[in-house]
Amino acid sequence: MTYDSRGTARYHSPKKKSFFQRLCSQWQLALMSVPIFLYVLLFNYAPMWGWINAFKDYGNRKLVARGITPFNGLDNFKWLFSRPDFFVAIRNTLAMSIINLVFGTVSAVLLAVLLNEVRQKMFKKTVQTVTYLPHFLSMVIVVAMAQNIFASNGPINDLLLGLGIVKQPVFWLGEGKHFWWLVGIINVWKEVGWGTIIYISAMTAIDPALYEAAAIDGAGRFQKILHVTLPGIKSTFVILLIMNIGHLMEAGFEIQYLLGNGLVANYSRTIDIFVLEYGTQNMDFGVATAAGIFKSVVAIILLVGANFISKRLGEETLV
Amino acid sequence: MRKLLAVLLTLALLGTLMVSFAAAEELEPITLTVFRGDPGDQPYEDNKIYKKIEEEFGVKFEFEFLAGDLDETLGLKLQDLDDLPDLFDGGNSAETLIDAGALVNLLDYVNPEDTPNLWAHIEPQKNRIITKDEVTGEDVMYIIPNYGLGEGEQIVNSVGGPAFFIQKQVLAWAGYPEIHTLDEYFDLIEKFIAENPTNADGTPYIGFDILCEGWRHFCLINPVQHLMGRPNDGEVLVDVTKDDFPTETFINQPYAKAYYKKLNEEFKKGIISQDTFVMSYDQYIAQLSSGIVLGMFDQAWDFGDATNALLTDKKYENTYVALGLVYDEDDVAAEDMPEGWTIEEHYVNGSLPNLDRGFGISVSCKCPERIVAMWERMLDYDWQMLFNWGVEGEDYSVEDGRLTMTAEQYANTQDIEWQRHNKARAFFESSPKRQGYIMEGEFAGQCWEPGNQDEIVFGLMNDYDKDFLSHYGYSKFGDFVNPPIELAPYGEAWQIDKADIQKDYDDYLRIQDEQLPGIIMASDDEFDAKWDTFVNDITPSADIYANFMHEQILKLVAAYYGEE
Amino acid sequence: MTTTNYQNIKVRKHYDVVFPIVNTIILILLMFVTLYPVINTVAYSLNDGTDALKGGISLWPRVFSTQSYQAILSDPAVYQAAWISASKTIIITLLNLFWTSMLAYTLTRKEYVLRKVITTMLVLTMYVNAGLIPNYLLITKVLHLNKSYWVYIIPTMFSCFNMIVLRTYIAGLPEALVESARIDGAGDIRIFWQIIFPLCKPVLATVALFVAVGSWNSWFDTHLYNASKTELHSLQYLLKMKLATTQASANAAKASVDALANSASSKTTPVTIRCAITVISTVPILVVYPFLQKYFVTGMVLGSVKG
Repeated sequence: MTYDSRGTARYHSPKKKSFFQRLCSQWQLALMSVPIFLYVLLFNYAPMWGWINAFKDYGNRKLVARGITPFNGLDNFKWLFSRPDFFVAIRNTLAMSIINLVFGTVSAVLLAVLLNEVRQKMFKKTVQTVTYLPHFLSMVIVVAMAQNIFASNGPINDLLLGLGIVKQPVFWLGEGKHFWWLVGIINVWKEVGWGTIIYISAMTAIDPALYEAAAIDGAGRFQKILHVTLPGIKSTFVILLIMNIGHLMEAGFEIQYLLGNGLVANYSRTIDIFVLEYGTQNMDFGVATAAGIFKSVVAIILLVGANFISKRLGEETLV
Repeated sequence: MRKLLAVLLTLALLGTLMVSFAAAEELEPITLTVFRGDPGDQPYEDNKIYKKIEEEFGVKFEFEFLAGDLDETLGLKLQDLDDLPDLFDGGNSAETLIDAGALVNLLDYVNPEDTPNLWAHIEPQKNRIITKDEVTGEDVMYIIPNYGLGEGEQIVNSVGGPAFFIQKQVLAWAGYPEIHTLDEYFDLIEKFIAENPTNADGTPYIGFDILCEGWRHFCLINPVQHLMGRPNDGEVLVDVTKDDFPTETFINQPYAKAYYKKLNEEFKKGIISQDTFVMSYDQYIAQLSSGIVLGMFDQAWDFGDATNALLTDKKYENTYVALGLVYDEDDVAAEDMPEGWTIEEHYVNGSLPNLDRGFGISVSCKCPERIVAMWERMLDYDWQMLFNWGVEGEDYSVEDGRLTMTAEQYANTQDIEWQRHNKARAFFESSPKRQGYIMEGEFAGQCWEPGNQDEIVFGLMNDYDKDFLSHYGYSKFGDFVNPPIELAPYGEAWQIDKADIQKDYDDYLRIQDEQLPGIIMASDDEFDAKWDTFVNDITPSADIYANFMHEQILKLVAAYYGEE
Repeated sequence: MTTTNYQNIKVRKHYDVVFPIVNTIILILLMFVTLYPVINTVAYSLNDGTDALKGGISLWPRVFSTQSYQAILSDPAVYQAAWISASKTIIITLLNLFWTSMLAYTLTRKEYVLRKVITTMLVLTMYVNAGLIPNYLLITKVLHLNKSYWVYIIPTMFSCFNMIVLRTYIAGLPEALVESARIDGAGDIRIFWQIIFPLCKPVLATVALFVAVGSWNSWFDTHLYNASKTELHSLQYLLKMKLATTQASANAAKASVDALANSASSKTTPVTIRCAITVISTVPILVVYPFLQKYFVTGMVLGSVKG
């Protein structure tokens, strides 16, 4: 907790106020925040006693149903880390979430910038509306289309064969090395427009005077983008980046589950799918919770790290 | 906002009122809460069957259907045993309800004196249905099987379960040959494709499809037991001719290699499509519905939508016949066979009670006697006719003493919207019911289920199929396979609950899902090495699984013979 | 020197002419790529169900039929469910904007003594999850919110992510706004509602969109807590159920396999129902979107406020 440095500097200073005095003087701020803070404590922290399940044996559904779930210490964690495929799942999760993060962020910022340059309002609105629509399609629909588009005799292969880039159709869906990139591409396709919304709303806060000033200095479009637009959304960008770095352990499971198959299982199995296969599906809440705790711990480490680096660089921080 | 609150308050009040009604005296009208472990449609208010139930029994239903994941949903409901639905159907995971003590022991209410109908209904299979509680050792029956307690001779009009399927046009093209072995089957498909590479539209035919999406991977991993001549035991091969029921997993045996070697060859010949292992279920159904897939291993219910699509397009020649293929003598070397094994085709098993599937009555239900009494009465002729056939004159008619439906009436029974007005499907599907033949009364010898009645099976059959059957001299499609064998004393092994070895079982399945496609796609010089790796990788979990299954089978056999 | 400058300007001018054209082409291509799946979905939803099983439909229905829409919209329960969904979406959106924006403001006040602890605790909620069962027990056994409308409202009044988005935006506003108001004697409550809140329109519109879409599309809460109360079913839950039953009907013969139909009757199928459901649940969002969009497309003239 940081206190006002001026207040704490002088030992006998009449300015020095205790924590509670300061809080009292800030009663309006407290009134605006404490009720909802208590609400969050109740709904997000009270159920945390459930983490105790990570140290219980839920392995046998029959015994669990009879209410027999003895404590088993760290066995659930040990089991997770004894599985080579759990490490494969961690690798896959990180690979796909990093690809998603890079592709997703770059494409969203790029599209936001391009849209910001459009002067024609109708066109701008239309592009925006059209590009965000795929966000509302269910993953099942999107994956089904992707499966047809990337099939051995699908349009992508037809195109590559037609242009003479490949001699044999590429087995996009059946080879592990393509899988991560396919997930990245499909995610961009589905989410690029939606991801743009937040940056576009951030751009509205940019003072138009800055553009005028830049124009007077003789800046062209690129200079304006570089020196006005991008700095204008930098804080949003940094904050989202820090938040997303904390989420690197979440690569989702729906798209991998739908697009994956036996041939690419070693590349498609994320931590969430691993937990689904070995935990949730068999009601093994012990293993599922243990994996959840592991993910949370890693997430917090990543988050604190990203936040720290950002602070050192003099950028925006999340906390 | 205020208006909305008022509405909400009223709703809440109404809700409380309904609850207090439900708790009222037994003879008073009651509302039973019902959970179904599968998706379903709410019946409409004007549903004629539910109206009749309300009139006679004073019972109304409040249905809840499964929307999310079954195990997760059950796990949450079981958190509070005081607030369970009265009638509780746990779908394919009903064991969970039993293990959790969520259901009452129906033997407290069902006995020869008080409930003669129900008792007579379960009596022939009571050694399978009534089990001993694992903890207390007392006799228990938590669920009366919803299906599989048929009366009279077993009806096999067609193969509904697993089989190798082939398009009718392929058989017709070859002059209606009899196909019994794997080699004959693939030879025929190869020859057909050689002469007819594409259909009339110019789309290339696919010789053989292997679906392996998610839980439907049985199309990939199950066929070997059938090629060895056994009906569906899931993933084990059981020698039922021996007293100690030797049990082994078949997938890692030398005789399984023959099948995957064959698939490997067919894959390289292009008979199996390159994309078969990355295909989703929807893509599979799309291919089947377009009539371009000549053959596959599957279960008939798994592609019902595709069959419907083909029938709608009147592409009768593209619909499928189920064949019971087995290994040829020279497919598997004698030393690779299990000891003393002879191959004899048995795709169709004896009638199997659907154990632990259907409604149980929950421990929080206030009126179990009343529900049991209702079921007892409902097994009477008039109620069974109402549930199965409907109302005479409206839904079916009687001609010359035979029960019959018009094509339109029968199509109605398959129409979900129509069912919501005219069928008590949500309740009846999970309740005890009569199946097979009507044993007494004026319609004795006719079928309880319209879908089995000759007037419908043959009366509504299309001309292509009639002609097709006549070339073989068969009267029904079930004649393509041998008649059912006697059900093994343990039932069918896939019904056995694997909770005790769940993680090993998961490993066992996962290794097959991940490696078998690669084996089928392997080049000649890789095949043997890949197969050996597979056998090596899977044997630890396979052994655990096989031993567990053997123990369980022996237990079931002992229980079955125990009281005779 | 002069010549260089002149050339630079010329180059810039050149860019300024070319750029809008290139930009327009890129955006049109992008629209084409993103519009395809949408039109494809609409085409499927308007196709005959059984025919659609065969796949291969691209931008236009092959066998036109509105049966999928009829199957969904002919059910009177859909309208009750739509009312439940619409009402809860509006209430949740308003409550979220209220709580989230207020909290976001307080967390931009550097002098606020609880700022750090509240921020840290809130941010952590995005990364820790207690799991399904403890949450379920909290709602049902402790708070007894199940089987009531309130379960849609009370647990979802606040989202940390949206709070951060708002906080970032508010932090970007000129500090002078707050300070000059404070000199005029305004308290934080007044400063927030009278000065900050009105300036946040674009980001409030964004957050409103996020919350509303999330609430409108949620079905899991109904599934967990209100599944047995048909009068409280949300639209998404009902639609999800329709899809599930259509999918199950193909397998209905599983139990009584011999009953597999010899007579074919044209039905809705999962392929078309899924698409019709997507269209039905997306159209309301499309209708509402322009009202929100105008706030973040137009932009805002901050300069005058600063003055």
